[in-house]
Amino acid sequence: MALTKAALQPTTTDDERQHSRDQAGLLLALADPSSLVRRWAARDLLAYPNASAALVERLLIETEPSVIEVILTTLTRIGDECAVVGLIRCLRTENAMLRNAAIEAMKLLPDEVAPLMGRLLNDADPDVRIFAVDVLESLRHPQVESWLIRVITEDAHLNVCGAAVDLLGEVGSECARPALLALKQRFIDEPYIQFAADLALTRIAAG
Amino acid sequence: MATPLTINDEDFLKFREFFYRKTGILFEDSKRYFVDKRLLERMAVTASENFRSYFTMLRFQASGEELQTLINTMTVNETYFFREEYQFQCLVNSMLTEIIAHRTTTTPIRIWSVPSSSGEEPYGIAIYLLEYWSQLSDWDVEIISSDIDTSILNRARQGHYSPRAVQYLPATLLNKYFHRDGEYFQINKELRDAVEFTRVNVTDAAEMRLHRYFDVIFCRNLLIYFDDLSRKQTAESFYDALNPGGFICLGHSESMSRISALFRVRKFPEAIVYQKPWGVK
Repeated sequence: MALTKAALQPTTTDDERQHSRDQAGLLLALADPSSLVRRWAARDLLAYPNASAALVERLLIETEPSVIEVILTTLTRIGDECAVVGLIRCLRTENAMLRNAAIEAMKLLPDEVAPLMGRLLNDADPDVRIFAVDVLESLRHPQVESWLIRVITEDAHLNVCGAAVDLLGEVGSECARPALLALKQRFIDEPYIQFAADLALTRIAAG
Repeated sequence: MATPLTINDEDFLKFREFFYRKTGILFEDSKRYFVDKRLLERMAVTASENFRSYFTMLRFQASGEELQTLINTMTVNETYFFREEYQFQCLVNSMLTEIIAHRTTTTPIRIWSVPSSSGEEPYGIAIYLLEYWSQLSDWDVEIISSDIDTSILNRARQGHYSPRAVQYLPATLLNKYFHRDGEYFQINKELRDAVEFTRVNVTDAAEMRLHRYFDVIFCRNLLIYFDDLSRKQTAESFYDALNPGGFICLGHSESMSRISALFRVRKFPEAIVYQKPWGVK
C-alpha cells in the first residue's frame, strides 16, 4: 500500500444514469427517489432556463435540504420572472428553512426582485411584508431607502413598520427624517417604535 | 504613431461581466489596475487594435485559446510548501483516522487539492503522508490536483521550485524528496508520478462531475475570489464530489458556514474543517 496514481473517475455501480440528460430526462430525474440524482438534475437544469416552473414546483414539495439548496441556486442563476415569483411563493410556506433560504436567494437578485417589490410590500399578509423588508436588508438596489420610507409612511401594521424602521437605522439618510418623525406621531403609544425611530434619527444626524 | 491601447470604464464592466460568466471569478472595482494591466498586455501580444477587437476575438474565437491564456494570466499563483501546515497535521492525526474507522472496503483513499497552483500543496500532502501517516502502509492513497490554469498545471507536473517555495520545508525533507537543479529544486519522480493533475473550472457542473468520490478536499484561498452565488454553487458541487463523511478544508480566512448549510463544522485539535455528514448520499 502506498501513494498510487489516480483514475479520474473510478468505476462504480451507483453512477449508472437512469435518466437522459435532456430537459425531459432531467425533469423526470427531479422526482427520482435518490436525493443525489435529484441534486444533479436540479444542477443540470440550469442549461434550460424554461425549467424554472418545474424547479419551483419541486421546491415546494422537496423535503431534502441538500436538494432544496441546489434548486434555489439554480433558480437564482436562472433569475427569470418565473423563478422570482417562485421564490416569492416560498415566503408563504410554513417551512422556515425554505422561507429563509428563499429570502437569501432573493437578496442576490436585486434587479429581478425590484419590479415585484412594490407588490410584495402591499401584500395582504403582514408576514410576507416583513419578509419583504428582510429581503431589503441586503438587497443591493438604489431604491431600498425609498421603499422603506414608503413602508413606514403607509403600512398600518406595527411589526412591519418596526422591521422597516430598524433597517432605516442602517441605510437611512436625511430623506427619511420626515417619515420617521411622522411614524413617531402615528404610533405615539408604541415604545418600541419611539425607541427605534429615535435611534434611526440619531444615526442619520450623526451620519 | 499608433494610438496607445486603453481600457475605459465601460470596457472594464463589459469584460468583468463576461469573465465572471465564464469562470465565476468576480473582479471588484479595487482590482481595476490588475485587470487593465493584464488585458493591455494580451491586447498588445495579440496585436489587437483596441479593446473592442480584442473582446470580439475573446468571445468568438472557436478554439477558445485566447480565453484560456487570459484565464491563466488573470489567476494568481503564489504559494509555498507546507502553507497552513496545521491542516496537514489535522489530516494525518484526525481526518484520516475517522475515515478509515468507517471504511468497510479497501478502496483507495482519495484526496483532492484544488486549485493546484504550481503543485506545492498536492506534493506537500504527499510528503506529509509519507512522513507522518503511519497507516500509509495499510492503505492506498490517490492524490488528484486541479486548476483552471493550464500553464500552471504544466508547471506543477514539472515540479520545479524556487528556494522561496521550499523555505519552510525541513532540510531533511528537502534533501529526501528534491534534487537540486541550478538555483531551483525539482521534486523527485516518484512523487511527480504519484499526483494526477487535471484541469477543472469549479463553477462548471459538467467538469465537476468528473471529479468525485473524494474523502478529503483541500480548497484553500480560492472561494475568496468568487461572488456569493458562485461560492454557494461550488460548495454544492464539492458536496457531491465528497464521499459521505468526507472533509473539506478551506483557507484560514474562509468559512463554509457563511456559504452553505450543507456541511457540519468539525473542530479537531489541529483545525476547524467541514464535513459532509455520514449516512447521506
